[in-house]
Amino acid sequence: MQFLAYILRQTGKNLRQTWGTPAMPLLTVTLSVLLFAFFFLIYTNMLRASARLGDDIRLIVYLDQEVTAQMRPGLEKKIRDFGPVEKIVFVSRSEAFARLSAQLDKEKDILNDLGPDFLPPSIEVYPLKNLNDLTKISQFSEFLLTLPHAAKVQSGSDWLRRFGYFTNLLRVVVLLSGSLLIISMTFIVSYTLRLTVLSRQGELEILRLLGATSAYIRLPLLLEGMMQGFLGSSLGLAALYFLYQYIASRFSGPGFLRLFDFTFFPPELTGAILLASIVLCTVGSLFSIRRFIRI
Amino acid sequence: MPRDASTDKPLVELVNVTKIYPPDVVAVEDVSLRIYKGEILFLTGMSGAGKTTLIKLICRLETPTRGLIEVAGRDLSHISTAGVQRMRQKIGVAYQDFRLLDKQTVLQNIAMAMEVTYASTKVIRARVEELLALLNLSDKRDKRAGELSRGEQQRVALARAAANGPSLLLADEPTGNLDPAATELVINLFRHLNEKNGSTIVVATHDPSIYAETEHRVMTLNNGQLSAHPNRSPRQIELFEA
Repeated sequence: MQFLAYILRQTGKNLRQTWGTPAMPLLTVTLSVLLFAFFFLIYTNMLRASARLGDDIRLIVYLDQEVTAQMRPGLEKKIRDFGPVEKIVFVSRSEAFARLSAQLDKEKDILNDLGPDFLPPSIEVYPLKNLNDLTKISQFSEFLLTLPHAAKVQSGSDWLRRFGYFTNLLRVVVLLSGSLLIISMTFIVSYTLRLTVLSRQGELEILRLLGATSAYIRLPLLLEGMMQGFLGSSLGLAALYFLYQYIASRFSGPGFLRLFDFTFFPPELTGAILLASIVLCTVGSLFSIRRFIRI
Repeated sequence: MPRDASTDKPLVELVNVTKIYPPDVVAVEDVSLRIYKGEILFLTGMSGAGKTTLIKLICRLETPTRGLIEVAGRDLSHISTAGVQRMRQKIGVAYQDFRLLDKQTVLQNIAMAMEVTYASTKVIRARVEELLALLNLSDKRDKRAGELSRGEQQRVALARAAANGPSLLLADEPTGNLDPAATELVINLFRHLNEKNGSTIVVATHDPSIYAETEHRVMTLNNGQLSAHPNRSPRQIELFEA
Protein backbone atom coordinates (compact mmCIF):
# COMPACT_ATOMS: atom_id res chain seq x y z
CA MET A 1 0.00 0.00 0.00
CA GLN A 2 2.85 2.32 0.97
CA PHE A 3 4.58 1.32 -2.26
CA LEU A 4 1.51 2.18 -4.35
CA ALA A 5 1.07 5.50 -2.55
CA TYR A 6 4.69 6.37 -3.31
CA ILE A 7 4.40 5.45 -6.96
CA LEU A 8 1.24 7.53 -7.37
CA ARG A 9 2.74 10.46 -5.47
CA GLN A 10 5.90 10.26 -7.54
CA THR A 11 3.82 10.21 -10.75
CA GLY A 12 1.94 13.30 -9.60
CA LYS A 13 5.23 14.99 -8.73
CA ASN A 14 6.68 14.18 -12.14
CA LEU A 15 3.63 15.60 -13.90
CA ARG A 16 3.72 18.77 -11.81
CA GLN A 17 7.40 19.29 -12.50
CA THR A 18 7.19 18.73 -16.25
CA TRP A 19 3.54 19.56 -16.96
CA GLY A 20 4.35 21.34 -20.25
CA THR A 21 6.14 18.35 -21.74
CA PRO A 22 3.32 15.79 -21.44
CA ALA A 23 0.79 18.31 -22.80
CA MET A 24 2.07 17.79 -26.35
CA PRO A 25 1.68 14.01 -26.48
CA LEU A 26 -1.69 14.38 -24.78
CA LEU A 27 -2.83 16.63 -27.61
CA THR A 28 -1.32 14.30 -30.21
CA VAL A 29 -3.01 11.26 -28.68
CA THR A 30 -6.33 13.14 -28.53
CA LEU A 31 -6.15 14.19 -32.18
CA SER A 32 -4.96 10.79 -33.38
CA VAL A 33 -7.76 9.00 -31.57
CA LEU A 34 -10.29 11.53 -32.83
CA LEU A 35 -9.12 11.11 -36.42
CA PHE A 36 -9.01 7.34 -36.29
CA ALA A 37 -12.27 6.95 -34.40
CA PHE A 38 -14.02 9.37 -36.79
CA PHE A 39 -13.18 7.29 -39.87
CA PHE A 40 -13.76 4.07 -37.99
CA LEU A 41 -17.20 5.26 -36.92
CA ILE A 42 -18.14 6.09 -40.52
CA TYR A 43 -16.73 2.77 -41.68
CA THR A 44 -18.66 0.69 -39.15
CA ASN A 45 -21.87 2.53 -40.03
CA MET A 46 -21.24 2.03 -43.74
CA LEU A 47 -20.72 -1.69 -43.15
CA ARG A 48 -24.00 -1.86 -41.27
CA ALA A 49 -25.79 0.10 -43.99
CA SER A 50 -24.25 -2.13 -46.65
CA ALA A 51 -25.52 -5.23 -44.86
CA ARG A 52 -28.98 -3.69 -44.63
CA LEU A 53 -28.99 -2.80 -48.33
CA GLY A 54 -28.04 -6.37 -49.12
CA ASP A 55 -31.01 -7.56 -47.10
CA ASP A 56 -33.40 -5.34 -49.08
CA ILE A 57 -32.22 -6.42 -52.51
CA ARG A 58 -34.85 -6.95 -55.21
CA LEU A 59 -34.41 -7.99 -58.85
CA ILE A 60 -36.95 -6.63 -61.33
CA VAL A 61 -37.37 -8.33 -64.70
CA TYR A 62 -39.10 -6.02 -67.19
CA LEU A 63 -41.03 -7.93 -69.80
CA ASP A 64 -42.17 -6.97 -73.28
CA GLN A 65 -45.39 -8.95 -72.90
CA GLU A 66 -47.93 -9.57 -70.13
CA VAL A 67 -47.55 -12.84 -68.31
CA THR A 68 -50.73 -14.84 -68.41
CA ALA A 69 -52.00 -16.80 -65.44
CA GLN A 70 -51.06 -20.03 -67.22
CA MET A 71 -47.47 -18.92 -67.74
CA ARG A 72 -46.87 -17.91 -64.13
CA PRO A 73 -46.32 -21.38 -62.49
CA GLY A 74 -43.79 -22.31 -65.18
CA LEU A 75 -41.85 -19.08 -64.81
CA GLU A 76 -41.94 -19.31 -61.04
CA LYS A 77 -40.59 -22.87 -61.13
CA LYS A 78 -37.78 -21.85 -63.50
CA ILE A 79 -36.74 -19.03 -61.20
CA ARG A 80 -36.91 -21.11 -58.01
CA ASP A 81 -34.91 -23.89 -59.70
CA PHE A 82 -32.07 -21.45 -60.32
CA GLY A 83 -31.75 -20.22 -56.77
CA PRO A 84 -33.48 -19.83 -53.40
CA VAL A 85 -36.03 -17.09 -53.55
CA GLU A 86 -38.12 -15.59 -50.78
CA LYS A 87 -40.96 -14.47 -52.99
CA ILE A 88 -41.88 -13.71 -56.60
CA VAL A 89 -44.39 -11.02 -57.49
CA PHE A 90 -45.86 -10.67 -60.95
CA VAL A 91 -46.79 -7.07 -61.77
CA SER A 92 -49.09 -6.41 -64.69
CA ARG A 93 -49.15 -3.13 -66.69
CA SER A 94 -52.27 -1.96 -64.84
CA GLU A 95 -50.78 -2.84 -61.44
CA ALA A 96 -47.61 -0.95 -62.28
CA PHE A 97 -49.71 2.03 -63.32
CA ALA A 98 -51.71 1.87 -60.10
CA ARG A 99 -48.53 1.78 -58.03
CA LEU A 100 -47.04 4.76 -59.81
CA SER A 101 -50.26 6.63 -59.45
CA ALA A 102 -50.28 5.93 -55.71
CA GLN A 103 -46.65 7.02 -55.39
CA LEU A 104 -47.32 10.30 -57.18
CA ASP A 105 -50.20 10.92 -54.78
CA LYS A 106 -51.44 14.50 -55.37
CA GLU A 107 -49.51 14.80 -58.61
CA LYS A 108 -51.03 11.77 -60.22
CA ASP A 109 -52.84 14.10 -62.64
CA ILE A 110 -49.78 14.10 -64.86
CA LEU A 111 -50.65 10.50 -65.73
CA ASN A 112 -54.06 11.47 -67.07
CA ASP A 113 -52.92 11.72 -70.66
CA LEU A 114 -51.02 8.47 -70.49
CA GLY A 115 -52.88 5.25 -70.72
CA PRO A 116 -52.32 2.41 -68.19
CA ASP A 117 -50.36 0.55 -70.84
CA PHE A 118 -47.32 2.76 -71.00
CA LEU A 119 -45.51 0.92 -68.19
CA PRO A 120 -44.04 -2.53 -68.90
CA PRO A 121 -45.19 -5.59 -67.00
CA SER A 122 -42.56 -7.06 -64.68
CA ILE A 123 -41.58 -9.86 -62.32
CA GLU A 124 -40.18 -8.82 -58.93
CA VAL A 125 -37.84 -11.44 -57.54
CA TYR A 126 -36.91 -11.20 -53.86
CA PRO A 127 -33.92 -13.45 -53.19
CA LEU A 128 -33.26 -14.87 -49.75
CA LYS A 129 -31.47 -12.48 -47.29
CA ASN A 130 -28.23 -14.38 -47.64
CA LEU A 131 -27.85 -13.37 -51.28
CA ASN A 132 -25.68 -10.32 -50.73
CA ASP A 133 -22.74 -11.35 -52.86
CA LEU A 134 -22.43 -9.09 -55.88
CA THR A 135 -21.23 -11.92 -58.17
CA LYS A 136 -24.20 -14.09 -57.25
CA ILE A 137 -26.58 -11.19 -57.85
CA SER A 138 -25.03 -10.62 -61.29
CA GLN A 139 -25.38 -14.32 -62.13
CA PHE A 140 -28.98 -14.24 -61.01
CA SER A 141 -29.60 -11.15 -63.15
CA GLU A 142 -28.06 -12.82 -66.19
CA PHE A 143 -30.24 -15.85 -65.68
CA LEU A 144 -33.38 -13.75 -65.33
CA LEU A 145 -32.58 -12.08 -68.65
CA THR A 146 -32.92 -15.49 -70.35
CA LEU A 147 -36.54 -15.86 -69.26
CA PRO A 148 -39.16 -15.69 -72.05
CA HIS A 149 -40.13 -12.09 -72.93
CA ALA A 150 -37.51 -10.62 -70.54
CA ALA A 151 -36.40 -7.23 -71.88
CA LYS A 152 -34.28 -5.87 -69.06
CA VAL A 153 -33.25 -6.77 -65.52
CA GLN A 154 -32.74 -4.16 -62.86
CA SER A 155 -30.89 -5.42 -59.81
CA GLY A 156 -29.29 -2.35 -58.22
CA SER A 157 -26.01 -4.27 -58.23
CA ASP A 158 -24.18 -1.37 -59.88
CA TRP A 159 -25.18 0.87 -57.04
CA LEU A 160 -24.21 -1.80 -54.53
CA ARG A 161 -20.86 -2.22 -56.30
CA ARG A 162 -20.13 1.51 -56.05
CA PHE A 163 -21.15 1.39 -52.40
CA GLY A 164 -18.77 -1.53 -51.93
CA TYR A 165 -15.93 0.41 -53.57
CA PHE A 166 -16.55 3.33 -51.24
CA THR A 167 -16.57 1.02 -48.21
CA ASN A 168 -13.27 -0.50 -49.36
CA LEU A 169 -11.77 2.96 -49.77
CA LEU A 170 -12.96 3.82 -46.30
CA ARG A 171 -11.35 0.65 -45.00
CA VAL A 172 -8.03 1.84 -46.42
CA VAL A 173 -8.51 5.24 -44.74
CA VAL A 174 -9.28 3.52 -41.44
CA LEU A 175 -6.18 1.36 -41.78
CA LEU A 176 -4.06 4.42 -42.59
CA SER A 177 -5.45 6.46 -39.71
CA GLY A 178 -5.02 3.42 -37.45
CA SER A 179 -1.38 3.17 -38.49
CA LEU A 180 -0.98 6.89 -37.87
CA LEU A 181 -2.52 6.36 -34.45
CA ILE A 182 -0.06 3.59 -33.61
CA ILE A 183 2.96 5.52 -34.88
CA SER A 184 2.02 8.84 -33.30
CA MET A 185 1.16 7.31 -29.94
CA THR A 186 4.17 5.10 -29.53
CA PHE A 187 6.71 7.49 -31.00
CA ILE A 188 5.43 10.76 -29.57
CA VAL A 189 4.93 9.31 -26.10
CA SER A 190 8.30 7.62 -26.30
CA TYR A 191 10.00 10.79 -27.51
CA THR A 192 8.35 12.97 -24.87
CA LEU A 193 9.29 10.57 -22.15
CA ARG A 194 12.83 10.74 -23.42
CA LEU A 195 12.69 14.52 -22.98
CA THR A 196 11.28 14.06 -19.48
CA VAL A 197 14.05 11.63 -18.63
CA LEU A 198 16.68 14.02 -19.97
CA SER A 199 15.22 16.97 -18.05
CA ARG A 200 15.22 14.89 -14.86
CA GLN A 201 18.57 13.26 -15.44
CA GLY A 202 20.02 14.83 -12.27
CA GLU A 203 17.19 13.64 -10.07
CA LEU A 204 17.23 10.13 -11.54
CA GLU A 205 20.96 9.95 -10.97
CA ILE A 206 20.55 10.91 -7.31
CA LEU A 207 17.73 8.40 -6.91
CA ARG A 208 20.04 5.71 -8.26
CA LEU A 209 22.74 6.75 -5.77
CA LEU A 210 20.24 6.56 -2.94
CA GLY A 211 19.34 3.01 -3.89
CA ALA A 212 15.97 3.62 -5.48
CA THR A 213 14.64 0.39 -6.96
CA SER A 214 13.87 -0.05 -10.63
CA ALA A 215 10.15 -0.01 -9.80
CA TYR A 216 10.48 3.25 -7.87
CA ILE A 217 12.12 4.98 -10.83
CA ARG A 218 10.38 3.30 -13.74
CA LEU A 219 6.81 2.77 -12.60
CA PRO A 220 5.89 6.47 -12.26
CA LEU A 221 7.16 7.07 -15.81
CA LEU A 222 5.22 4.07 -17.05
CA LEU A 223 2.12 5.32 -15.25
CA GLU A 224 2.65 8.69 -16.90
CA GLY A 225 2.48 7.01 -20.32
CA MET A 226 -0.61 5.05 -19.33
CA MET A 227 -2.30 8.20 -18.09
CA GLN A 228 -1.49 9.98 -21.35
CA GLY A 229 -3.10 7.08 -23.23
CA PHE A 230 -6.17 7.10 -21.02
CA LEU A 231 -6.65 10.86 -20.92
CA GLY A 232 -5.79 11.42 -24.59
CA SER A 233 -8.12 8.71 -25.88
CA SER A 234 -10.88 9.74 -23.47
CA LEU A 235 -10.69 13.31 -24.73
CA GLY A 236 -10.56 12.13 -28.36
CA LEU A 237 -13.57 9.85 -27.94
CA ALA A 238 -15.47 12.51 -26.00
CA ALA A 239 -14.80 15.03 -28.80
CA LEU A 240 -16.03 12.49 -31.36
CA TYR A 241 -19.15 11.81 -29.31
CA PHE A 242 -20.00 15.52 -29.20
CA LEU A 243 -19.34 15.76 -32.93
CA TYR A 244 -21.62 12.77 -33.48
CA GLN A 245 -24.33 14.32 -31.33
CA TYR A 246 -24.04 17.57 -33.25
CA ILE A 247 -24.29 15.81 -36.62
CA ALA A 248 -27.09 13.53 -35.46
CA SER A 249 -29.16 16.45 -34.15
CA ARG A 250 -28.64 18.50 -37.33
CA PHE A 251 -29.14 15.75 -39.91
CA SER A 252 -31.62 13.39 -38.27
CA GLY A 253 -34.92 12.87 -40.04
CA PRO A 254 -35.92 11.15 -43.24
CA GLY A 255 -32.68 12.03 -45.02
CA PHE A 256 -29.23 10.53 -45.25
CA LEU A 257 -28.70 9.63 -41.62
CA ARG A 258 -32.09 8.03 -41.29
CA LEU A 259 -31.25 5.85 -44.28
CA PHE A 260 -28.00 4.74 -42.64
CA ASP A 261 -29.30 4.69 -39.06
CA PHE A 262 -26.07 6.39 -37.91
CA THR A 263 -25.06 5.10 -34.46
CA PHE A 264 -22.13 5.67 -32.09
CA PHE A 265 -19.73 2.93 -31.05
CA PRO A 266 -21.14 0.38 -28.63
CA PRO A 267 -19.59 0.57 -25.12
CA GLU A 268 -17.43 -2.52 -25.79
CA LEU A 269 -15.81 -0.94 -28.85
CA THR A 270 -15.32 2.37 -27.02
CA GLY A 271 -13.61 0.44 -24.23
CA ALA A 272 -11.46 -1.42 -26.76
CA ILE A 273 -10.26 1.84 -28.37
CA LEU A 274 -9.51 3.23 -24.92
CA LEU A 275 -7.63 0.10 -23.94
CA ALA A 276 -5.67 0.01 -27.20
CA SER A 277 -4.60 3.64 -26.69
CA ILE A 278 -3.46 2.91 -23.14
CA VAL A 279 -1.50 -0.12 -24.32
CA LEU A 280 0.13 1.83 -27.17
CA CYS A 281 1.17 4.69 -24.90
CA THR A 282 2.46 2.23 -22.31
CA VAL A 283 4.51 0.47 -24.98
CA GLY A 284 5.91 3.87 -26.05
CA SER A 285 6.85 4.66 -22.46
CA LEU A 286 8.33 1.23 -21.93
CA PHE A 287 10.47 1.64 -25.02
CA SER A 288 11.95 4.90 -23.72
CA ILE A 289 12.32 3.64 -20.18
CA ARG A 290 14.22 0.57 -21.29
CA ARG A 291 16.37 2.54 -23.68
CA PHE A 292 17.18 5.69 -21.73
CA ILE A 293 17.05 4.75 -18.07
CA ARG A 294 19.93 2.74 -16.80
CA ILE A 295 19.41 1.47 -13.29
CA MET B 1 31.66 2.91 20.21
CA PRO B 2 35.03 1.13 20.57
CA ARG B 3 35.34 -2.03 18.58
CA ASP B 4 36.95 -5.36 19.31
CA ALA B 5 38.96 -6.28 16.24
CA SER B 6 39.65 -9.80 17.39
CA THR B 7 36.00 -10.86 17.37
CA ASP B 8 34.38 -8.49 14.88
CA LYS B 9 33.91 -9.44 11.28
CA PRO B 10 34.79 -6.59 8.96
CA LEU B 11 31.85 -4.74 7.49
CA VAL B 12 33.99 -3.65 4.56
CA GLU B 13 36.97 -5.52 3.25
CA LEU B 14 39.23 -4.52 0.38
CA VAL B 15 41.85 -6.97 -0.80
CA ASN B 16 44.59 -5.76 -3.15
CA VAL B 17 42.27 -3.30 -4.81
CA THR B 18 43.57 -1.29 -7.74
CA LYS B 19 41.63 1.23 -9.77
CA ILE B 20 43.05 2.53 -13.02
CA TYR B 21 41.15 5.12 -15.03
CA PRO B 22 41.73 5.08 -18.75
CA PRO B 23 44.17 5.48 -20.24
CA ASP B 24 46.56 4.79 -17.37
CA VAL B 25 45.71 6.97 -14.37
CA VAL B 26 46.25 4.92 -11.24
CA ALA B 27 43.81 6.26 -8.64
CA VAL B 28 44.12 3.48 -6.07
CA GLU B 29 46.90 0.93 -6.03
CA ASP B 30 46.93 -2.42 -4.31
CA VAL B 31 44.90 -1.27 -1.34
CA SER B 32 43.95 -3.76 1.35
CA LEU B 33 41.76 -2.53 4.16
CA ARG B 34 39.32 -3.88 6.72
CA ILE B 35 36.69 -1.61 8.20
CA TYR B 36 34.90 -3.03 11.19
CA LYS B 37 31.33 -2.69 12.33
CA GLY B 38 30.89 0.36 14.56
CA GLU B 39 34.25 1.81 13.62
CA ILE B 40 35.02 5.39 12.72
CA LEU B 41 37.81 5.55 10.17
CA PHE B 42 39.48 8.68 8.88
CA LEU B 43 40.96 8.50 5.39
CA THR B 44 43.34 11.35 4.90
CA GLY B 45 45.50 12.48 2.05
CA MET B 46 46.15 15.28 -0.38
CA SER B 47 43.71 16.16 -3.13
CA GLY B 48 43.94 13.53 -5.84
CA ALA B 49 45.37 10.95 -3.46
CA GLY B 50 42.50 8.55 -4.22
CA LYS B 51 40.16 9.14 -1.25
CA THR B 52 37.07 9.82 -3.38
CA THR B 53 37.82 6.84 -5.63
CA LEU B 54 38.06 4.59 -2.58
CA ILE B 55 34.69 5.86 -1.31
CA LYS B 56 33.16 5.31 -4.77
CA LEU B 57 34.57 1.79 -4.89
CA ILE B 58 33.03 0.92 -1.52
CA CYS B 59 29.55 2.10 -2.56
CA ARG B 60 30.02 0.53 -6.01
CA LEU B 61 29.85 3.73 -7.96
CA GLU B 62 33.07 2.49 -9.46
CA THR B 63 34.29 -1.04 -10.01
CA PRO B 64 37.89 -2.01 -9.28
CA THR B 65 40.30 -2.81 -12.08
CA ARG B 66 41.76 -5.52 -9.88
CA GLY B 67 41.10 -6.88 -6.43
CA LEU B 68 38.17 -7.82 -4.25
CA ILE B 69 35.74 -5.63 -2.34
CA GLU B 70 33.25 -7.08 0.12
CA VAL B 71 30.59 -5.17 1.99
CA ALA B 72 28.73 -7.04 4.72
CA GLY B 73 30.27 -10.24 3.41
CA ARG B 74 29.06 -9.74 -0.16
CA ASP B 75 31.48 -9.56 -3.06
CA LEU B 76 30.54 -6.38 -4.91
CA SER B 77 31.70 -7.74 -8.24
CA HIS B 78 29.06 -10.46 -8.08
CA ILE B 79 26.15 -8.48 -6.70
CA SER B 80 22.92 -8.06 -8.68
CA THR B 81 21.37 -4.70 -9.57
CA ALA B 82 18.69 -5.25 -6.93
CA GLY B 83 21.44 -6.15 -4.48
CA VAL B 84 23.25 -2.88 -5.22
CA GLN B 85 20.00 -0.98 -4.70
CA ARG B 86 19.38 -2.66 -1.36
CA MET B 87 22.96 -2.04 -0.32
CA ARG B 88 22.83 1.64 -1.22
CA GLN B 89 19.70 2.06 0.89
CA LYS B 90 21.76 0.92 3.86
CA ILE B 91 24.83 2.99 3.01
CA GLY B 92 24.70 6.73 3.44
CA VAL B 93 27.03 8.67 1.19
CA ALA B 94 27.75 12.38 1.54
CA TYR B 95 29.38 13.38 -1.71
CA GLN B 96 32.06 16.00 -2.06
CA ASP B 97 29.94 17.81 -4.64
CA PHE B 98 26.80 17.34 -2.44
CA ARG B 99 24.57 16.10 -5.30
CA LEU B 100 21.51 17.96 -4.11
CA LEU B 101 18.53 18.97 -6.19
CA ASP B 102 18.77 22.76 -6.22
CA LYS B 103 15.10 23.34 -7.03
CA GLN B 104 13.85 21.15 -4.22
CA THR B 105 13.62 22.17 -0.62
CA VAL B 106 15.94 21.02 2.13
CA LEU B 107 13.13 18.83 3.47
CA GLN B 108 12.53 17.22 0.07
CA ASN B 109 16.22 16.60 -0.51
CA ILE B 110 16.65 14.80 2.79
CA ALA B 111 13.31 12.99 2.58
CA MET B 112 14.27 11.57 -0.82
CA ALA B 113 16.71 9.14 0.79
CA MET B 114 13.93 7.74 2.98
CA GLU B 115 11.26 7.78 0.30
CA VAL B 116 13.18 5.26 -1.79
CA THR B 117 12.89 2.85 1.14
CA TYR B 118 9.11 3.47 1.21
CA ALA B 119 9.19 4.81 4.77
CA SER B 120 5.97 6.38 5.97
CA THR B 121 5.51 10.13 5.66
CA LYS B 122 5.21 10.44 9.43
CA VAL B 123 8.50 8.66 10.05
CA ILE B 124 10.24 10.69 7.37
CA ARG B 125 8.97 13.97 8.79
CA ALA B 126 10.13 13.12 12.32
CA ARG B 127 13.54 11.93 11.18
CA VAL B 128 14.15 14.96 8.97
CA GLU B 129 13.23 17.31 11.81
CA GLU B 130 15.63 15.47 14.11
CA LEU B 131 18.51 15.71 11.63
CA LEU B 132 17.83 19.36 10.88
CA ALA B 133 17.96 20.11 14.59
CA LEU B 134 21.21 18.17 14.98
CA LEU B 135 22.81 20.14 12.16
CA ASN B 136 21.28 23.47 13.12
CA LEU B 137 19.29 23.71 9.89
CA SER B 138 15.73 23.74 11.23
CA ASP B 139 15.08 27.25 9.95
CA LYS B 140 16.20 26.23 6.44
CA ARG B 141 13.76 23.33 6.14
CA ASP B 142 11.55 24.89 3.45
CA LYS B 143 14.29 26.72 1.58
CA ARG B 144 15.39 25.50 -1.81
CA ALA B 145 18.77 23.79 -1.70
CA GLY B 146 20.06 26.10 -4.42
CA GLU B 147 19.46 29.13 -2.17
CA LEU B 148 21.69 27.84 0.62
CA SER B 149 25.35 28.62 1.25
CA ARG B 150 27.96 25.95 0.43
CA GLY B 151 28.35 25.11 4.10
CA GLU B 152 24.59 24.67 4.53
CA GLN B 153 24.39 22.54 1.42
CA GLN B 154 27.16 20.38 2.80
CA ARG B 155 25.21 19.82 5.98
CA VAL B 156 22.05 18.98 4.00
CA ALA B 157 24.05 16.40 2.05
CA LEU B 158 25.22 14.91 5.36
CA ALA B 159 21.69 14.89 6.74
CA ARG B 160 20.50 13.03 3.63
CA ALA B 161 23.32 10.49 4.02
CA ALA B 162 22.36 9.97 7.66
CA ALA B 163 18.60 9.89 7.07
CA ASN B 164 18.11 6.13 7.00
CA GLY B 165 20.32 5.55 10.06
CA PRO B 166 22.80 3.75 7.76
CA SER B 167 24.93 0.86 8.90
CA LEU B 168 27.76 2.45 6.90
CA LEU B 169 28.21 6.17 6.31
CA LEU B 170 30.75 7.37 3.80
CA ALA B 171 31.53 11.08 4.00
CA ASP B 172 33.73 12.65 1.37
CA GLU B 173 35.29 15.90 2.64
CA PRO B 174 32.35 16.57 4.95
CA THR B 175 33.84 19.70 6.49
CA GLY B 176 35.43 21.24 3.42
CA ASN B 177 33.14 24.26 3.46
CA LEU B 178 32.37 24.51 7.15
CA ASP B 179 33.42 26.92 9.87
CA PRO B 180 34.62 25.45 13.21
CA ALA B 181 31.16 25.64 14.77
CA ALA B 182 29.53 23.80 11.89
CA THR B 183 32.41 21.31 11.84
CA GLU B 184 31.64 20.58 15.49
CA LEU B 185 28.00 19.89 14.57
CA VAL B 186 29.09 17.42 11.91
CA ILE B 187 31.46 15.64 14.30
CA ASN B 188 28.60 15.43 16.80
CA LEU B 189 26.35 13.95 14.13
CA PHE B 190 28.94 11.25 13.38
CA ARG B 191 29.30 10.52 17.09
CA HIS B 192 25.51 10.40 17.45
CA LEU B 193 25.13 7.94 14.56
CA ASN B 194 28.00 5.83 15.76
CA GLU B 195 26.86 5.63 19.35
CA LYS B 196 23.10 5.50 18.83
CA ASN B 197 22.85 3.37 15.68
CA GLY B 198 26.22 1.63 15.77
CA SER B 199 26.92 3.05 12.33
CA THR B 200 30.33 2.51 10.78
CA ILE B 201 31.67 5.81 9.55
CA VAL B 202 34.35 6.44 6.98
CA VAL B 203 35.44 10.05 6.67
CA ALA B 204 37.62 11.05 3.75
CA THR B 205 39.23 14.37 4.61
CA HIS B 206 42.28 16.51 4.30
CA ASP B 207 41.14 18.67 7.24
CA PRO B 208 43.46 17.73 10.15
CA SER B 209 41.26 19.54 12.67
CA ILE B 210 38.70 16.75 12.64
CA TYR B 211 41.06 13.83 13.22
CA ALA B 212 43.95 15.43 15.12
CA GLU B 213 42.60 14.54 18.54
CA THR B 214 40.74 11.41 17.60
CA GLU B 215 41.32 8.04 19.13
CA HIS B 216 39.88 6.39 16.03
CA ARG B 217 41.88 4.88 13.22
CA VAL B 218 43.43 7.29 10.74
CA MET B 219 44.74 6.00 7.40
CA THR B 220 46.51 8.00 4.75
CA LEU B 221 46.31 7.65 1.02
CA ASN B 222 49.28 8.86 -0.95
CA ASN B 223 49.30 8.51 -4.72
CA GLY B 224 46.70 5.76 -4.40
CA GLN B 225 48.64 3.78 -1.82
CA LEU B 226 47.30 3.29 1.68
CA SER B 227 49.34 3.50 4.85
CA ALA B 228 48.87 4.32 8.52
CA HIS B 229 48.91 8.01 9.32
CA PRO B 230 52.49 9.06 10.16
CA ASN B 231 51.58 10.89 13.38
CA ARG B 232 49.47 8.12 14.80
CA SER B 233 48.89 7.54 18.47
CA PRO B 234 49.71 4.20 20.14
CA ARG B 235 46.00 3.39 20.07
CA GLN B 236 45.92 4.09 16.36
CA ILE B 237 48.98 1.88 15.81
CA GLU B 238 47.24 -0.90 17.69
CA LEU B 239 44.16 -0.50 15.54
CA PHE B 240 46.17 -0.41 12.34
CA GLU B 241 48.06 -3.56 13.26
CA ALA B 242 44.75 -5.27 13.87
